[in-house]
Amino acid sequence: MKTSVLAWLDRAAERFAGKTVFSDENGKITFSELNNYTKSIGTYLARLVSGNVPIVVMSGRHILTPACYLGAVRAGCFYAPMDATMPISRLNSILGVIKADFMLVDKEHLETAKKLDFCGKIIIIEDIIDTQPDEELLKKASMGLTEISPLYVIFTSGSTGVPKGVITSHHSLMCYIDAVCKVLDINESDVLGNQSPLDYIAAVRDIYLPLKTGASTVIIPKNEFSMPTELFETLNKNRVTTLCWSVAGIELPAKLGAFDCIKPEYLKKVCFSGSVMPCKYLKIWQDNLPDVLYVNQYGPTEATASCTYYVVDKKVDESTVLPIGTPYENYSVILLNDDGTQTPDGEIGEICVKGPILALGYYGDVQRTSESFIQNPLNPNYRELIYKTGDLGSIGEDGLLMFHGRKDRQIKHMGHRIELGEIEETAKKIDGMGECCALYNKEKEHLYLFYTGDVQSKDIVLHFRKVLPAFMVPRKLVALEELPKLPNGKLDMQSLKAMFK
Amino acid sequence: MDELMEILEELRPDVDFENETALIDDGVLDSFDIVALVGELNDAFDIEIKPNNLVPANFNSAKAMMALIEQLQDE
Repeated sequence: MKTSVLAWLDRAAERFAGKTVFSDENGKITFSELNNYTKSIGTYLARLVSGNVPIVVMSGRHILTPACYLGAVRAGCFYAPMDATMPISRLNSILGVIKADFMLVDKEHLETAKKLDFCGKIIIIEDIIDTQPDEELLKKASMGLTEISPLYVIFTSGSTGVPKGVITSHHSLMCYIDAVCKVLDINESDVLGNQSPLDYIAAVRDIYLPLKTGASTVIIPKNEFSMPTELFETLNKNRVTTLCWSVAGIELPAKLGAFDCIKPEYLKKVCFSGSVMPCKYLKIWQDNLPDVLYVNQYGPTEATASCTYYVVDKKVDESTVLPIGTPYENYSVILLNDDGTQTPDGEIGEICVKGPILALGYYGDVQRTSESFIQNPLNPNYRELIYKTGDLGSIGEDGLLMFHGRKDRQIKHMGHRIELGEIEETAKKIDGMGECCALYNKEKEHLYLFYTGDVQSKDIVLHFRKVLPAFMVPRKLVALEELPKLPNGKLDMQSLKAMFK
Repeated sequence: MDELMEILEELRPDVDFENETALIDDGVLDSFDIVALVGELNDAFDIEIKPNNLVPANFNSAKAMMALIEQLQDE
């Protein structure tokens, strides 16, 4: 049994020493070089900390970023990645939750780091990557790691306006990577094309599948996703075989007609997750690349990336609704009714997950942790936690799980998880804002904000752009004299939805 | 040009479209902005922006976008 991801890294560094593990638009790095960087960064950090504390990593889309994550682990710590392109106030609220003493930052984002409310030590990555590794010190530092030590804390939208930090252990991550690796049959000849921001949960596949198997990952520059023919050229140039992308990322080239000009020639496997795949776009992929393996994934960050999968085994058309399938190895799914009883097959219940892949909870938030991670109500005999996803599902006659939306007001937009309540809480802080309601037009993929009060839509957007990540900024703002209400005084969201254009 | 500026302004009121010349290269506009923009431009100017038109040079500035629109209208 492996205790930590370091075992994978050590083994890969030996077996695949001179092979490329990560590349980006400016260069590449071999397994052996990656290993050395993690040891240098680990040595530097281990001289400052005594292990098991968070190290914030704010670093761009390049090959050094995974080295920082693993460097923190070498020091016996865990990493909390932050996307420097997020608004300052959001970065500050993440820092307020994680309360770290150390931040690794690349030179490019040093100025941003200096502007943050951070009283700890800022360490410039480029300055420490040549630190002479101290093997004795590193051995000592990693001694405290067990398989249930935290590996990372990844932040996601919280309905109160404060992001939640989901803590994942080494063991959970390794369970997931083992399982997904089998389904996608990843081996050392594979090249993954990374789309996900490196601080985001979806990137764990691109970072850890290579460590486990010897495959490589190409970090694709973000702006190529705006220019789909360039994107496909990059896939071909790097002979990319495997994409683990958000549904939004898979949709983009199909929407913009990229297949009319160029086709990815080396692709064998395409795995997508993050939201419901509109099959009209999947059909375009299938029509153009019929021999590729397509896998639909479902799962929340709290159950380590994805918990169920479905291998698309037939040609889809526009009306096809893909199942979310069956649980991955080491994952178990149950459906529960509101009263905690088991949902009969065929009926809709809340999707609950159990197994060694459950997150360790929300960082520094015992209350929200105990609300979402509860004792399995079906098990009176021993301690068994489940995570209540808030998603609704049903099990069909074929035994496959189908997805039926959310119990609450969480949505998936552009592959990101968003609490509509968080947008409203943010809007309420704007001067002159009266009442407001954020809603999602799923069909057109537009975020709406209906509002009252004496404030210009432009000023609202400018405020949002300052405090929220871009994907959370409503595209459509509708000013109303008053918001429609139900007889009980609650907002009449159905009437508002009727105003979608 | 006014119509284009209006569309851009509504899409991203936080961006200075008069002066920006590296909207794509600097990542000012992201892929989702482009998808939205392509749809709006196609409708507003009765054109069809093709995937091979989607290169940074055509979208780095409002001026470049206008040139692309005019070129497609002539076709």
